[in-house]
Amino acid sequence: VNAVIDASAQVGFASDAQLREYLPATFRTRGWPGPARPWYQAPGGDFRESTYGDGYPWVGGFPGSDPERVVREVLDEAGARMAVLQPRGRGNLPDWTLNTEIYAATNRWLAERFLDPSAGGGRFRGTVLVNPEDPDGAIREIRRWSGHPGVVQVGVPLQSQQPYGKPQFQPIWRAAAEAGLAISVHISAGSGIERAPSPAGHMRTFAHYAAYMPLNYFHHLSSLIMDGTLARIPDVRFVFADGGSDILTPLIWRLDTFWRSMRDQTPWVRDVPSSYLADHVRFVVSGLEGPDDPAVAGDWLALTGKDALTMYGSNYPYWSSIDPGRLPDGYFDDQRRRILHDTAAAFYGLPDRPSADASPGGEIVSAEQGGRT
Amino acid sequence: MTAHSPRDLAGSALRLAGEPAPVAAEERSRREPRTVAAVADIPPGSMLLVPEGPFGIGIYNIDGTFHAVANYCPHEGAPVCLGRVHGSNVYDEEAKQFVRVLEGRVLRCPWHQWEFDLVTGKSLAKPERRVKIYQVAVVDEKVVVYL
Repeated sequence: VNAVIDASAQVGFASDAQLREYLPATFRTRGWPGPARPWYQAPGGDFRESTYGDGYPWVGGFPGSDPERVVREVLDEAGARMAVLQPRGRGNLPDWTLNTEIYAATNRWLAERFLDPSAGGGRFRGTVLVNPEDPDGAIREIRRWSGHPGVVQVGVPLQSQQPYGKPQFQPIWRAAAEAGLAISVHISAGSGIERAPSPAGHMRTFAHYAAYMPLNYFHHLSSLIMDGTLARIPDVRFVFADGGSDILTPLIWRLDTFWRSMRDQTPWVRDVPSSYLADHVRFVVSGLEGPDDPAVAGDWLALTGKDALTMYGSNYPYWSSIDPGRLPDGYFDDQRRRILHDTAAAFYGLPDRPSADASPGGEIVSAEQGGRT
Repeated sequence: MTAHSPRDLAGSALRLAGEPAPVAAEERSRREPRTVAAVADIPPGSMLLVPEGPFGIGIYNIDGTFHAVANYCPHEGAPVCLGRVHGSNVYDEEAKQFVRVLEGRVLRCPWHQWEFDLVTGKSLAKPERRVKIYQVAVVDEKVVVYL
């Protein structure tokens, strides 16, 4: 139990009615997309069978909404000693004032129901959602939660209107770094205004979507490096929570290659782009990535230092969530230990060992101290 | 990774190019002198490619000072002296603008666009790679390269 940290489990409101309870009167009667992807659904259902409760669609609220059940399924049954929770958003909404309020409501809900030590005995850490389309609102929200003992990172949707290295986003990342919080980039549930999942347009099937969509992280990562965010904010830390670290190696090789040729256009980048990964970037892996041949899996993971950048996350309650025991056979023991536990413990500054009666505030090491491995 | 200090522009330029190591007289005397051109053949801002060394040597006149560079890119072997000579950029974080530095002493390889400092030979993006430089001197109005 003490050997696993789940770096990404998803939670969300039981129902729209519950979300409305957490919204102020000014926004309570508004409309928004549901938390399921409208087009790309797994043929067998988006969620793990157990989360459907007594039948489809589900009884007792949307999967990942009931703290007791999340404690049981994410922590106890999976054998994870701690978990970082990522609340579901509703996509990137055209009304950014509404989305900022939905995120604020989501964060209040998360803190009340999951980050309070009465849920899980202080074994949960949380992500507070902030709206990148509303930089002032995002910074307000970061400052609101800064110092909350259960909050370890801010969350933004992978589906953005612009690459996250562009200058309009930089004040948000700076505020997060100043608050000692990492920034999690994660596919937002729901479907707001967003670009097609691939630059070539929409796919037909879920398989195609699932294979490609997480890889969009690289558009953000390359922009964060080349447009200077990682060079200018020494403490900024990004987590790409949908995985995709398997393609990091060839893509960062390409970026290094072209940077060497065109350095004069990005003079703030002081060394090859790949040199920024170790201090600033982590990935959550929730399924098999890279080669499944045990003879090469460990070596592939080691290339470009991916084995120090990758953290296990269950991606609960989605169907693709994997058991921590199901990492590829070919990983070396030290790689397995880092992925399942050590990298997340250091990155999020998690306590060495949980104690059942401790409050989250009593045992947290600041991310500042623990954020570097 | 360290942040930019706003006033380190000179440092940036220096870090890009480095400074040429001083050459001891006895070091030069151990090399073979070759007279390759008259000073008047290579006016400031120009380059003359001479058939010396295994790949040819480009003799560059930068503001009246001569620099000799092997015509061989350490990246993949391109005839680097056929590249253009210009300056390069650093960024002034305080003024929020690009600043031109090293004007006239940055050689850009024609194949993969790597930048090299003509004075030190160093790649600006990968300083551990450098184009070979030769010692050069003016003797009796002739340009002499030491192979």
